[in-house]
Amino acid sequence: MARAAQIRLAPEDVDRMMDSINDILSFCALVGDLDCADTPDFTWRMKKLPSRRLDEAGDWADRDRFKSMSPTMEGDFFRVPRIHAED
Amino acid sequence: MADSPLSSKNSAAAKRPVVIGLEVHIQLNTKTKLFCPCSTDYIGRTPNTNVCPICLAVPGTLPLLNDLAVALGSRMGLGLHCEIQNYSNFHRKNYFYPDLSKAYQITQYGLTIAVGGYIDIEPEGRPKRVRVHHLHLEEDAGKLVHPTADGRLTGAAYSLVDYNRGGVPLSEIVSEPDMSSPAEARDYVIRLRQLARYLDVSDGEMESGSLRVDANISLSNPDGSLGTRVEIKNMNSLKSLERALEYEISRQNKVLDSGGRIVQETRLWDDAEEVTRSMRSKETASDYRYYPEMDLAPIVITDEQIEDFKRAMPELPWEKRERFAREFGLSGEEVAILTEQKELARYYEETIAAGAPPARAANWVRMEVLRVLNETGTSISDFPLGPSVLAELVKKVESKELSSTIAKDILDTLSREDITLDEAVKRSGASAVRLTGCLLDEVVDRICAANPGVVETIKSGRDKKGGKMKFLQGLVMKETRGQADPSEAAGSLSKKLGA
Repeated sequence: MARAAQIRLAPEDVDRMMDSINDILSFCALVGDLDCADTPDFTWRMKKLPSRRLDEAGDWADRDRFKSMSPTMEGDFFRVPRIHAED
Repeated sequence: MADSPLSSKNSAAAKRPVVIGLEVHIQLNTKTKLFCPCSTDYIGRTPNTNVCPICLAVPGTLPLLNDLAVALGSRMGLGLHCEIQNYSNFHRKNYFYPDLSKAYQITQYGLTIAVGGYIDIEPEGRPKRVRVHHLHLEEDAGKLVHPTADGRLTGAAYSLVDYNRGGVPLSEIVSEPDMSSPAEARDYVIRLRQLARYLDVSDGEMESGSLRVDANISLSNPDGSLGTRVEIKNMNSLKSLERALEYEISRQNKVLDSGGRIVQETRLWDDAEEVTRSMRSKETASDYRYYPEMDLAPIVITDEQIEDFKRAMPELPWEKRERFAREFGLSGEEVAILTEQKELARYYEETIAAGAPPARAANWVRMEVLRVLNETGTSISDFPLGPSVLAELVKKVESKELSSTIAKDILDTLSREDITLDEAVKRSGASAVRLTGCLLDEVVDRICAANPGVVETIKSGRDKKGGKMKFLQGLVMKETRGQADPSEAAGSLSKKLGA
């Protein structure tokens, strides 16, 4: 589980967490054992969306309205407070 | 703070082995951004016009990956001999800087689209293989403008942001630290840029920011272990890259010589002052708090798709170089020039296909076509003289219908004026008088008679370097107003003077 979550664990941490992980897996097993034979299917299914799009340009009609609502514009730029990160 | 400028001569005398790795960002040739349908054509546009709720990070919006960016990244990876991964994903790279609307950059980390390739370089004729660690996809940041006198952040009470560039797709190519000199780093970038252009992955223009290079450089310790690494940014030309690395080698040597230690940091190259300046202490991966981007599905590329990408690969620069040398019998130097740009190589091949002899056509394209392009500042794609016309011109020289001198004038005329080859030939007067054979010999006799001293020097064998002979040849060409063939004139002179 730690590997799937990309969490690096030291060997001693693996031993320490084993009990907790076993508890989680045991609970999953209980859920898996539930008898769902008489449970009706969902009446809806999640719409499958594409994971990629074609390289086709679009335009945003509300751009100017959106920009006009921004509290801090200077000309066409967004204005942001003083940046301290590199002081 | 910047150190005092150091000359490149000092850096040439670097004492400790230099270790350089490069991170090259290439803007991919897509029409739209990486995760939204906004245009990537941002140069010269009014600020914040190429934006939408997705790239402005309006709450509730979701990114959707541009399929072409995946294809172009894979193509570049294959060109770099990388292994394309069946499964990769995106991460969020967090940092507090307003050039990103979301306060994080969507990038690939850990599982990247392509891993483990190489590119062969040959700086100053010395071949070397530079390994590529990986290639990953990521979005570009917006542009910050600081309203200060020098445009720098220091002293700015506030900053302005233009998100037109934010979200433009980039592929970052990370090399292993295999380069050991600025010349190698320069050649690596040249080869990478050439590959990107051959593959139509990017225009690779450094000046416009389509190709950006960050360099990691360190000097090895006496025991051979790697020294502390410094990252250099803000190098916007090949010359800047070389000079920045030369400066940094010199600076680090100087620090170590004086008993100091190198600080791990990011430094900015100042092109005007020719120094690097400390920008910030170097972040490590943990500073960015990477974590998986849950708004995007993983990138899945099937083996079939990878095979399709491979089948669609065009001829690569090194393949073209090898073929040109083999098929046309050209030298390494000739091949290097003719294949530098894909469009120039195509022009050359079409000239041959139209009937010009390969060796002669190679000379004409290398010497004359490139000369005119340089003089007029145009690219081969905009060159008005088509390859079939050049082939006709070359054939006329080959058949001695035109002297090479007149043919060069005709090429100049055709590159300036919209007239046919026949009209240009007529206008040159070459078809009216063609000095050859007895007519040419008569001119040679006259020139020799008018220059007895020079003739005597040649006949007595004192024209060791051939300068006097060339002088007479020049007089013959002048006298004939270019209507004699230079090689024929040289032959006639040699015959007469026994040289």
